[in-house]
Amino acid sequence: MRTNLKLAWRNLWRNKRRTIIAISSIVFSVLLASYMRSMQEGSYDSMINNSVKFYTGYLQIQDTAYWDERTLDNSFEVDSELQNRIKEIKNVSLVSNRLESFSLAADHMKSKPVMVMGIEPEAEDQITNLSKKIQSGDFLKSGDKEVVISGGLAKYLELGVGDTLVMISQGYHGISASGLFPIKGIIKHPNAEFNKRLIYMEIETAREFYSAYGLSTSLVVMTDDHYRVNHIKQEIERILPEKNTVMTWTEMTPELLQIIQSDRGGGIIMLGILYLVIAFGMFSVVIMMVKERQREFGVTHAIGMQKRKLASLVFIETLFIGFIGCAVGLIISYFFCLYFFYNPIPLTGDMAKATEIYGMEPYMFVSMKASLFYNQMIVVFIISIFITIFPISNVSRLKITKAMRA
Amino acid sequence: MKIIEIKNLHKVYNGSSVSVHAVNGINMSVEEGEFTAIVGPSGSGKTTLLNVIGGLDDATEGSVEIDGVKINDLSSRKLTDFRMKNIGFVFQAYNLIPVLTAKENVEFIMHLQGRKKADRDARTSELLKAVGLGEMMDRRPSKLSGGQQQRVAVARALASKPKFVLADEPTANLDSHSTENLLDIMEQLNKEEKITFLFSTHDQRVVNKARRVITIEDGKIISDERK
Repeated sequence: MRTNLKLAWRNLWRNKRRTIIAISSIVFSVLLASYMRSMQEGSYDSMINNSVKFYTGYLQIQDTAYWDERTLDNSFEVDSELQNRIKEIKNVSLVSNRLESFSLAADHMKSKPVMVMGIEPEAEDQITNLSKKIQSGDFLKSGDKEVVISGGLAKYLELGVGDTLVMISQGYHGISASGLFPIKGIIKHPNAEFNKRLIYMEIETAREFYSAYGLSTSLVVMTDDHYRVNHIKQEIERILPEKNTVMTWTEMTPELLQIIQSDRGGGIIMLGILYLVIAFGMFSVVIMMVKERQREFGVTHAIGMQKRKLASLVFIETLFIGFIGCAVGLIISYFFCLYFFYNPIPLTGDMAKATEIYGMEPYMFVSMKASLFYNQMIVVFIISIFITIFPISNVSRLKITKAMRA
Repeated sequence: MKIIEIKNLHKVYNGSSVSVHAVNGINMSVEEGEFTAIVGPSGSGKTTLLNVIGGLDDATEGSVEIDGVKINDLSSRKLTDFRMKNIGFVFQAYNLIPVLTAKENVEFIMHLQGRKKADRDARTSELLKAVGLGEMMDRRPSKLSGGQQQRVAVARALASKPKFVLADEPTANLDSHSTENLLDIMEQLNKEEKITFLFSTHDQRVVNKARRVITIEDGKIISDERK
């Protein structure tokens, strides 16, 4: 075996240029495939993050009737013991109450239907980093009786920090709700739609406004590992009372998941084409490698090397090329993507506008999920193993006298 | 003692339009310790005969027995194994493995035989010294002259302690000095170590050294002379 390894290694470098070209083609293929997948998954992560962070959270606990009929009448009383037990589940990073409803917001001249989100400011800020999006004024604190309104709404109603907002709505079980709320801050919400009509209110203030004392429409659960969402859901289901249900972000925003899945499908077709190009490139190198050594194969077989050993020699050579190419490709891809992970490429012009309309930050993000990298390496490595079928079949059909005349 | 016994050997190459009877009913035997040259014009069937004797090509008809073993009946795997243990080959174009040094080329066959390192080292050193290349063990074939490469090929052929050596036109690519040198080495090995050599050649110098000369034409033996 050691002799075979030594022979294979030396054979590899007998034509340095050819070997370097073959390895380079694999390196660039792995790099291209990794970057493509990393960018694709990075954009999905960004979409998911935006949707999850600024709206749904990774999981929500609701009253069983709430999702079909989203009214305050389907809110529920949160048991603090339940909340604590959920916090103790592995990978759960945060649990926060929300009370969501609608209202009519007005100043002295104009009015607009708005979405009101009653939040626990400190916890919500950990989820959304909303305080960083404040354009003017300040973000909310626990016990605040003021509101933070989105930039688009402020512009429409021509209101600023310190002005008072009039709100009229229907509260819990049809009770009329009305109030005057000073504006503490104006926020530029990353989601364009929300930026036109969202009002944040401290949850106790919202409960008082809607007469929904002690109630929440949802309990938002965040995780530090979004690949564990389904596992966390199962854990929550075990301790959840019958009146409640738990939903994941994919259940709450199925359209987002569908967009991602269909786009991912297209990406995989592109990747398949790329793999074919890689396979043919490697195949051509292996054909050259085998054809130019027919005489040598004939001689080594003549003096006593079994065809099986000869085939394993060529197999090792092909694997060497595949392995070196994949390993170098993996290292370069990782650092290449890592650079763009910390320095995402900013989008400009219409592309940036379109991205912002969909509530995403105008950057090309990349994902550093490990499997994106080693999967490319594994696929290319499997291709190289598959390609060895050719030299093995060539060796098994070897005729010594014919090979020695080559 | 007969090492090689050939009975009614035929080899026919079937081309697309014509069949060539390269070996046509040859009967012969080779005794242990012989130094035999097979001569004949180009296309007379010398190389084909050697290839069939060495198990590198199949016979169309007839049989080749080596040391009592009918090699026609061996499976491909057993035949390869048999060649490794019993037959040494020297080719016209040397055919050393280019990525291995002289020492590694000689050792290669012993690796295939699974012999121990100490045994391999001793045998390699002994053989390379015998062919006058003790100082050039670590050179790759590209750093050796044609004559030196052919001497390495002779050392390689002897590494497995074969029953006999088949040498197909071993001097065809060598200058006269290298030819003389190579023939002296082979003659010495034949005399001192009783190694049987069977050559195919055009070279009169080889013929002069040989103690038996078999002449073939059109695939048939037309003369068999012992000196």
